[in-house]
Amino acid sequence: MSYGILSYGAYVPSFRLARSVIADAVSWAVPGIKGLAKGERAVANWDEDSITLAVEAGRNCLAGFTQPLDHLQLASTTLPFADRSNSGVVGDALLCPPDLTTEDLGGSRRAGSSALVRLGLTASTRTTLLLAADCRETKPGSTQEMNYGHGAAGFVFGTGEPIAVVKGAASIHEDMIDQYRATDGDYDYALEERWIREEGYNKLVPRAVHAATQNAGLELSEIHRFVMPAAVAIVKGVAKILKVDAALFVDPLTTQVGDCGAAHPLLMLAQALETAVPGEKILVIGFGQGADAIVLETTARLADLQPTHGPGRYLKARRVLDNYTKFLALRNQLDLDFGLRAERDNRTAQSVFYRRRKDITGMVGGRCKSCNTLQYPRAQLCVKCGEIDTQEGESLSGLIGRVKSYTEDWLAYTPLPPYIYGNVEFADGANCMLEFTDFEPGQVKIGNAVRMVFRIKDFDRRRHFRRYFWKPAPIPAAAD
Amino acid sequence: MAKGIKDKVAIIGMGCSRFGERWDCGPEELILEAFIEALADAKIAREEIEMAWLGLFYQEQSAGKSALPLSLALRLPNIPVTRVENLCATGTEALRGAVYAVAAGACDIALAMGVEKLKDTGYGGLPERTKGTFDDLWLPNATAPGAFAQLAGAYAAKHHVDMQDLKRAMAHISVKSHANGMLNPKAHLRKEITEDEALNAGMVAYPLGLMDCCGVSDGAACAIVTSVEKAREMGYTEVVTVKAMQLAPSNGFEMSSTGWDGSYLHTTRIAAQRAYAEAGIKDPRKEINLMEVHDCFSVTELVVMEDLGMSAEGGAIKDVMDGVFDRDGAVPCQIDGGLKCFGHPIGATGLRMAYELYLQLLGRAGQRQLPSPSIGLTHNLGGHPFRNVASVSVLGLHSA
Repeated sequence: MSYGILSYGAYVPSFRLARSVIADAVSWAVPGIKGLAKGERAVANWDEDSITLAVEAGRNCLAGFTQPLDHLQLASTTLPFADRSNSGVVGDALLCPPDLTTEDLGGSRRAGSSALVRLGLTASTRTTLLLAADCRETKPGSTQEMNYGHGAAGFVFGTGEPIAVVKGAASIHEDMIDQYRATDGDYDYALEERWIREEGYNKLVPRAVHAATQNAGLELSEIHRFVMPAAVAIVKGVAKILKVDAALFVDPLTTQVGDCGAAHPLLMLAQALETAVPGEKILVIGFGQGADAIVLETTARLADLQPTHGPGRYLKARRVLDNYTKFLALRNQLDLDFGLRAERDNRTAQSVFYRRRKDITGMVGGRCKSCNTLQYPRAQLCVKCGEIDTQEGESLSGLIGRVKSYTEDWLAYTPLPPYIYGNVEFADGANCMLEFTDFEPGQVKIGNAVRMVFRIKDFDRRRHFRRYFWKPAPIPAAAD
Repeated sequence: MAKGIKDKVAIIGMGCSRFGERWDCGPEELILEAFIEALADAKIAREEIEMAWLGLFYQEQSAGKSALPLSLALRLPNIPVTRVENLCATGTEALRGAVYAVAAGACDIALAMGVEKLKDTGYGGLPERTKGTFDDLWLPNATAPGAFAQLAGAYAAKHHVDMQDLKRAMAHISVKSHANGMLNPKAHLRKEITEDEALNAGMVAYPLGLMDCCGVSDGAACAIVTSVEKAREMGYTEVVTVKAMQLAPSNGFEMSSTGWDGSYLHTTRIAAQRAYAEAGIKDPRKEINLMEVHDCFSVTELVVMEDLGMSAEGGAIKDVMDGVFDRDGAVPCQIDGGLKCFGHPIGATGLRMAYELYLQLLGRAGQRQLPSPSIGLTHNLGGHPFRNVASVSVLGLHSA
């Protein structure tokens, strides 16, 4: 029994937008952007945000993990709520116990990597799930629109049989405003890249790296791989200053995903762990108003979690988004006229939500003790045998369903028409009419197997609220 | 043991407004249009009406809640008025209230009025509505076409029918109803369509195209009812009486259990069996002369033929294509044009169906009169196939 990383997971949403699509749309105004038009970036669906991205990464972290969680941290610069525990929503969606302590971390792109450092330096018997997710919106025509992506990753720290142990870590703070976003701002405001490279990465990253290796009692030459979210030119410069081979820096997923903000160091680490061998020393770097560095060493236990926990399968399960205005509309950057039906008022009766919060956020239905029928939503009377107060809470969120009937509705409002919904049958008698997500028109067929994903159900733009629920989605092909 | 409602209550007057996009009037004017016709038909004075029932569904979009829309519109002399709402069965529910009051002896003459003003929303289709504070948290914001479209997919899957064959039968249903609606001056859509037009119409909710959907319109219809004894006193010798009025709402079985495959309407089957028992009907296909069923969508009418026992299970496509339900078929269905051509002002629809039966039974249906029918059926289906309210009523001639 020792302290370290016990499990990991990642998630990348399936939409991929080729950067050339952005360039084709906006280069008439900003011709310089053509130089960035390589590869593609991951785009969250309209019903995804940092909470839902984190939930999916968290489910992957917890797949096959049986130790109860004591603590949950959610790191992001794009938490949807300023006052409502975002990590609490994630904890409920992950069916965590009610005595779980939860913590929202933000304020910097280093929110994720700083939490890694802190968890790494504080061995504890408590089991903590650290999730990092970012879903940053970007100004049309900006370099951020080109470079950013959406994604999430997570790590479970605790005492047990770790897949990786922490050798050392360090964190430095310098108020270098390479980019910032005010709490009332919509987009990041970024300064000149050469200045950021020369005064920022080249000077701050080596300080953090040396402090971490010193803390670990290691030489830089002993590090097998470096994880640093940065463009290739920056990586080359930092490698040169550190006097290490730039080839030891892992792929920053620039051409497949894009920069996922606070989640990116963790996402890259998860990607590195997919192919790491036991005894590999990995140095993870986070940058932004200072720098973080943490040195890990993998163990033989790692193979047990490969390869399903990393982002690899999501890199394969991609859907092409080939329309720039569709991308803008999905991310609410373009106010398309969806007609008067879109004016529907989605005000939430919060006392109702509170009474049924487990049913909604955890998709907890009821299993009748009398006739064993599983049902959603649960009710005092069993739908099958009619017995009263016989149902015990049981979540359907982890079940595979089968499509009994469906439609593609072009009349109902949805940000991504058609509105696809249908009756889904689960094991032990459960049936439910549900809204689908991540399906293309024509893709759903009666008899399809579907898995449930936690998504935004709808927005209440007038009151700046959003509701979450579970939706049937395609089952991504297993990584091979 | 209760004997049911059969032949206790007579309909002595009915009225129906012209249905359509009635930009010219509000619910009050629609109510009055239907009422004036019914009052003249019954040959009574407004003051002789002792109680009234109002069917109105979308109160937010039109006349508001309570008894007041009816009481105010007709300046009724402070008689008891009860507003009822039961999804698309609302109109029939108003009639059931009035019929039961007369049967109970609470009054001699009662009025049932159904009205809906849908075309003040500013957009097409039925208005957006909440499904309740809890259901809005999880249930899809399904539209009616989207919910009913799933009947088609599930029916095709169950009976191993090619979707094109099912679509052709659905098109036949729409073509038939448009041909019937052509002959009805009160219908909203009075235009014949072809099978190709129906098959090639734009997709609303797969697999339902525009021509598989009923119209959306404004309208009102009403009935004045009394006891058979009172009708005799008033000098009637042959009247239309209520033979059965049955209602079956879902209890969660359809959506929440594996017992339902999505290809049929569970509650319609139950309501139909109860109605046939109440009316003493043994063989509906032989005994019923005409039907007004809830053809909100073409596929609903097709599936309902089996649920009402008019077609064998899996046999509706053949019966439809054979013309069994055409105006010259064995059991004409939607002889007035149906929801397809009248549209579906929710509160009015059930009473509009009863109005057509009433005219046909009394031989007053003009150009579309069927040869001497003596018994007919109305059917409403409110909500969505997976969670709904179904009503089945039987009306027929009776010697007073």
